Amino acid sequence: METEINLDRRTMPAFGKQTKIDIQHAQESKLANGIPVYSVNAGTQDVVKIELIFPAGARQQGLPLIADTTNAMLEEGTTKHNSEEIASLLDYYGSFLETSAHHDYASVALYTLGKHVSKVLPVLEEIVKEPSFSQSELDIYLTNKKQRFLVEDKKVRVVAARNFPALLFGDNHPYGHATKIEEYDTVKRDTLQSFHKTNYSANGCAIVVAGKVKDSVLNSLGDSFGGSNWKSADAQLNGKTFEVQPSAEKKHLIVKEKAMQSAIRMGRMLFVKSHADAIPFQILNVILGGYFGSRLMSNIREDKGYTYGISSGIVYLKEAGYFQVASEVGTDVCDKALVEIYKEMDKLCTEPVPDAELQLVKNYLRGNFLRSMDGPFALAERFKQVWLHGLDYSYYEKYVATLADITSAQLKDLAGKYFQKDSIYELVVGNKKA
Amino acid sequence: MIQFERFTLENGLKVIVHRDTSTPMACVNILYNVGARDEDPEKTGFAHLFEHLMFGGSINIADYDNALQQAGGENNAFTNNDITNYYLTLPATNLEVAFWLESDRMLSLAFSDKSLEVQRSVVIEEYKQSYLNQPYGDVWIELPKLAYKVHPYQWPTIGKEIDHIKHAVMADVKAFFHKFYCPNNAILVVSGNVTVDQVKALSEKWFGPIPPGNPPMRKLPAEPKQTQSRRLELERDVPVDAIYKAYHMGGRMEQSFYAMELLADVLTDGNASRMYVELVKNKKLFSEINAFTLESFDPGLFIISGKLSEGVTLEAADEAIQEELKKVSLAQVSKEEIEKARNKTESSLIFAEMSILNKAMNLAMFELLGGAEENNKETEKFMKVSEVDLLVEASRVINENNCSTLYYRSKSKVNGNGN
Repeated sequence: METEINLDRRTMPAFGKQTKIDIQHAQESKLANGIPVYSVNAGTQDVVKIELIFPAGARQQGLPLIADTTNAMLEEGTTKHNSEEIASLLDYYGSFLETSAHHDYASVALYTLGKHVSKVLPVLEEIVKEPSFSQSELDIYLTNKKQRFLVEDKKVRVVAARNFPALLFGDNHPYGHATKIEEYDTVKRDTLQSFHKTNYSANGCAIVVAGKVKDSVLNSLGDSFGGSNWKSADAQLNGKTFEVQPSAEKKHLIVKEKAMQSAIRMGRMLFVKSHADAIPFQILNVILGGYFGSRLMSNIREDKGYTYGISSGIVYLKEAGYFQVASEVGTDVCDKALVEIYKEMDKLCTEPVPDAELQLVKNYLRGNFLRSMDGPFALAERFKQVWLHGLDYSYYEKYVATLADITSAQLKDLAGKYFQKDSIYELVVGNKKA
Repeated sequence: MIQFERFTLENGLKVIVHRDTSTPMACVNILYNVGARDEDPEKTGFAHLFEHLMFGGSINIADYDNALQQAGGENNAFTNNDITNYYLTLPATNLEVAFWLESDRMLSLAFSDKSLEVQRSVVIEEYKQSYLNQPYGDVWIELPKLAYKVHPYQWPTIGKEIDHIKHAVMADVKAFFHKFYCPNNAILVVSGNVTVDQVKALSEKWFGPIPPGNPPMRKLPAEPKQTQSRRLELERDVPVDAIYKAYHMGGRMEQSFYAMELLADVLTDGNASRMYVELVKNKKLFSEINAFTLESFDPGLFIISGKLSEGVTLEAADEAIQEELKKVSLAQVSKEEIEKARNKTESSLIFAEMSILNKAMNLAMFELLGGAEENNKETEKFMKVSEVDLLVEASRVINENNCSTLYYRSKSKVNGNGN
């Protein structure tokens, strides 16, 4: 073997800092009926993701579970084909659907090889426009959802995630409401039908397409969704305004007697994504708990071994935003973990982040930013993450600029503003004894 | 189809390069040919615990993660029964940082006592989080134990019991490192916006000087053919009864694997699959049902798991599964069903090649299993499975005498205060 006399293994090799990052923007066009289509033509594989977005989320639903159930039932049969036939048609071409309902919107996405777009797009059209909401399918769906709810209810993490937003928004707010098992029994077929009629229509619909987006794909979209025959007369696009009713108590415990670990959620209300503090707070959050080397991970996992993982994050909704820390820790060390979490927040309020750490986080985030834009589906996601909040690509320019300029002093001020201990809500699910 | 080039360093390290200029990123994946199957039965969970320790500092670099994050990188690793795999992505312009980091921890770890102490606790919390504090979590401890009597697949990657992790000492850690973590027991794959020449030069520079080791020849006992049905009943604090049936099948590169993967799709993948339509929708016996293989390298398991609907007995559920499986062995899988399963598989392989990380992981795995070119034969192998092949393999595998059945009973139901 060669000797390594000349190889310096102690010094890190030179590396670049990705100061200039170009983002491929989504291109906007419109179908004949006015539906906007945002397309990202990128990538090497002949694949396409076509996502239809509707104002059909929890904020628009009125009664509990209606947005979720309507969305999930789209695949369960149309006036022309039953659930099995729909799946068979898509399976044959190796295509698949992904449906999801969120707080502010609902989405129906189709993934397919480019060569099969014209074959499977009519299936997407049919399930979006003509779902049958068959009573027998609905009964099966609800029964099985209840079973799953019971199983999920045994997981401390799930119970904590489900109940924490209610502390910030109140249980009557669509952003805060924690689903109860009895609510599955209240879902009625005609409610789903009328919700579908008003909220899954050309009004308010937007389409995001990513992958190898040829002109033929856009033309097929026009054929399927560009007509004027599926507008709704009484579209309820934005939902009502809801009153935020935070919990009077800050600290909450849901006891699960036999738990070996307790799930922790703590956090507070923030602001919408367009707020001036949004980008700086994002950086502050990364320092606290947003990456593997974060303060919370370094202290609570890598120094103390209390947990397999701990993180903090920001949830941005259309009309609000909140911050939360999440972890599962041994029940015997739960109190100690809580003390350390507060300590880490307090430290950010009182001591400036050392230069080396800030520099590291800035470098990490620049690399992460580049990574988050890798590939057509990721680029489409970047578009959605601004567009859904009424922002545009200038948000990312501002993000890169803030990353370059932000100082330890600014971060300390920001922590002082948002990490005051008495403003933090705390939820523990499990127990606090050995 | 993934294009790649391959070369081997003098010390035995195999290097594979896949160039993809559509991305600004690079991925570095290192597979070490050691998994939970290589463990001492009295010290299980060690390969995985060791994976954690690989982040606890190496001989010249105190903090792996810190340095990688400086260079805009992100990393992780996994251990399974067969291999330990480390991967990172970073801006391609910073590729050398990855070589510096990975070569140093292959050269030698720092073997810090603090790291061992903390990671023991972290892994114990992981054990609780994934197995003990999860409904049905201990299935993956109990079911392999029932199915394997001789082969080390009988214990889970995380370890047979928490005590094995608690009792790990530094001498074990060092011995494990010297035994398995050497260049001639590893495969390095670099994918993304890189050139072959660049990777060659960096490999020679950073990995070339690491001396080769003497990794042991793997001599695992073959699992004897199961000749009798095995059964186990557990009673736990879960809300609904569940059933698990595990059948012995072939290894990852055998034809058995491709046939059984397709059969799993035919049975439970999606709203048009057989068992879903028949047992969930029509007969309403299950709230969910899944068939899958464990994808293990040595002869593995084909598993059917289901959660029972309210009021259905485990015995009735078991019988219904067997009845559906009997239809398969009576030649009733149609040409169209298999064609659908094949098309789905083809399409998912194309989607999987959108990511340089996936591509790198697959190249490394296939290189170990017989040659990275095997990756590009996957679609063809699935496409070649005929109705007859599927029938033959299903008849061989699907047999109660080849099956371990686990009845997982809800305690609250047993006590009569369920729901």
